[in-house]
Amino acid sequence: MSHHHGNQSDEKVLNNPNKILLMGNPNVGKSIFFTELTGVHAISGNFTGTTVSFTQGQITLGGKEYTLIDVPGTYSLSPTSEAEAVAARFVQSGAAAIICVLDASNLERNLRLAMELTTYDIPIIYTLNMMDVAERKGVSVDVMQLMVDLGAPVIETIATKRQGLDKLIQSLEVVLKQAEGCEYSCNKCEGCPWAAAREICNRACTKDVNANPSFLDKLGDAMMKPKSGIPMAIFVMAAAIAIIVFGGRGLRAGAILPLVNNVIVPFFRNLFTSFVPEGVFQNILIGEFGIFVISFEWILALIFPYVLMFYVAFTFLEDTGFLPRMSVLFDNIMRKLGAQGGSLIHVLMGYGCAVPAIIGTRAATNRKERIVISAAIAFAIPCISQTGALMSLLAGYAWWMLPAMIAFSLVLFATVTIIVGKMVKGKVDPLLLEIPNMLMPNPKSYGRKLLTRMKHFLKDAQGPMMIAILLAALLAESGVLGIIADAAQPIVSGWLGLPAEAVTALILGIVRREMSVAPLLALDLNALQAFVGGAVSLMYLPCLSVFAILAKEFKAKVAVTIALSTIVVAIFVGGLINQVGQLFM
Amino acid sequence: MSFKTINLYDAKKEKVLQVTFVPSISLLENLGLRNGTKVVVQSRYGFGGPVLCRVENAFAVAIGKDIATQIAVKEVSSK
Repeated sequence: MSHHHGNQSDEKVLNNPNKILLMGNPNVGKSIFFTELTGVHAISGNFTGTTVSFTQGQITLGGKEYTLIDVPGTYSLSPTSEAEAVAARFVQSGAAAIICVLDASNLERNLRLAMELTTYDIPIIYTLNMMDVAERKGVSVDVMQLMVDLGAPVIETIATKRQGLDKLIQSLEVVLKQAEGCEYSCNKCEGCPWAAAREICNRACTKDVNANPSFLDKLGDAMMKPKSGIPMAIFVMAAAIAIIVFGGRGLRAGAILPLVNNVIVPFFRNLFTSFVPEGVFQNILIGEFGIFVISFEWILALIFPYVLMFYVAFTFLEDTGFLPRMSVLFDNIMRKLGAQGGSLIHVLMGYGCAVPAIIGTRAATNRKERIVISAAIAFAIPCISQTGALMSLLAGYAWWMLPAMIAFSLVLFATVTIIVGKMVKGKVDPLLLEIPNMLMPNPKSYGRKLLTRMKHFLKDAQGPMMIAILLAALLAESGVLGIIADAAQPIVSGWLGLPAEAVTALILGIVRREMSVAPLLALDLNALQAFVGGAVSLMYLPCLSVFAILAKEFKAKVAVTIALSTIVVAIFVGGLINQVGQLFM
Repeated sequence: MSFKTINLYDAKKEKVLQVTFVPSISLLENLGLRNGTKVVVQSRYGFGGPVLCRVENAFAVAIGKDIATQIAVKEVSSK
């Protein structure tokens, strides 16, 4: 998967004349088409702004190579967010063809964008998607009439069920061939795009007002009523947490821990002892804290079960249309904090990983909102890797330590949102969000998305982990760690009340978040120390990838400010918890 | 018919309303909320929350309180 924005490769893609643009309103199914047509996986989800940057993939049509671009969804070519601006730039750069995806259940507004697209002299092929949802809502569309009015092919599809894709490819080949060598002409929209869209829609659509709402529609409506929706949302969240906590714990104890301890680690131990002589080098490889021991114990046994269970739950929820409903139900709370409900989607994504969450804030209509939410995610939202490590750290003590940590993180989130909101100039835009129909996730795309995410996790986690462990091993073996530990003693032991060795966590935590927790597991901490260590790690610098993405998305100054303040606040507040805690111990 | 103009935030639920004024916010226009658009308020969320509207009987939009209070509507007929 290649995500690009605002750099040189952008220009290269924009200047490529052999590109086909996949365009349409937000959340009409473009990313599913993209994945099906190119085999490159684009992450899709049932909410506005799943794709905030473009994804590209190769497609062969009529023996010729084309680059298919999954353009972020937009309501119009006068953009209202950074993500939508990308779409406008793509159309202006020209293309071999546009596949314009129309939501059949919401044709008028979708046609409005189509009307704008017709003014660019690019061949267009339309897909009338979500025919099943339209049917469910009693809307029927006269496809022939639509074709006549648009002067271009219209293919009926149901992307989530992979229906109509063959016809789309055939039609696309014909259109590309026709466009070659001759001046392209289709029915161009002159005048008001809204009026034209309404006219076409009125001719092609008929609505059966007596259509019975389906179970999913009723469920979607019930989730939106404050009285039934809030308890349902709380129930769903509680169920998701239960799946992650108990599912993760079960998976770890029942399958992955035995696999690591009895199979994987002994395998590498036997392998390396057979030819590496005893000593420092062997220690670095397979000693107690060796690369081939710790990386499996931490990444595979400690973190992976929770990561898997998190995405089992999250991937399901994001395909249903649950997330934007949360945004609406809790907009009032977010508004009181100086943000808005739309950002809640990104916060929830942040519980998985902060990187896609911060990139996802590009869908926000306002820069201040982006900075406030990105800072709050960096400070207060633990990613699932860190959460997994925190759960293991706190599990050995009283049952209330985990809920206390959750409560602490929520208070921290509110505080950071309010303070950063006051520091950044400007105003946050109020909520304005389309609420999609509830959908049942398609098992095939669900499975594929989950698999992609797990592959990414293992790939992204294993490398930095090995580097960090190597770094730690070198520091320990060379004696540098001892020097740093001595120097940091007043802070780590005096102020935070942790053993001097805990400094390892602070060093490794710079690389990956869970590593600001994992080294504490071996230190035999008391309950207060465990809580302080967990709290420090929660607030402490997010990982290197987060720092990089903050610098890329905003200015380097923003990234440095967030990074430095997380370190200062983590040590200051962590120490306060320790000092206050001491009074009661 | 002489229905008086009120703001969308205070409008009654489940009545067909016609928009008579929208503030110039491009996302509103892009979503299809313009003068003459028909909307029905479905839910309102307390403590400063948004209103949920069905637009042209086709799709649902949540509109934050600070925008909804600036949108003027009049009742067209009861549903």
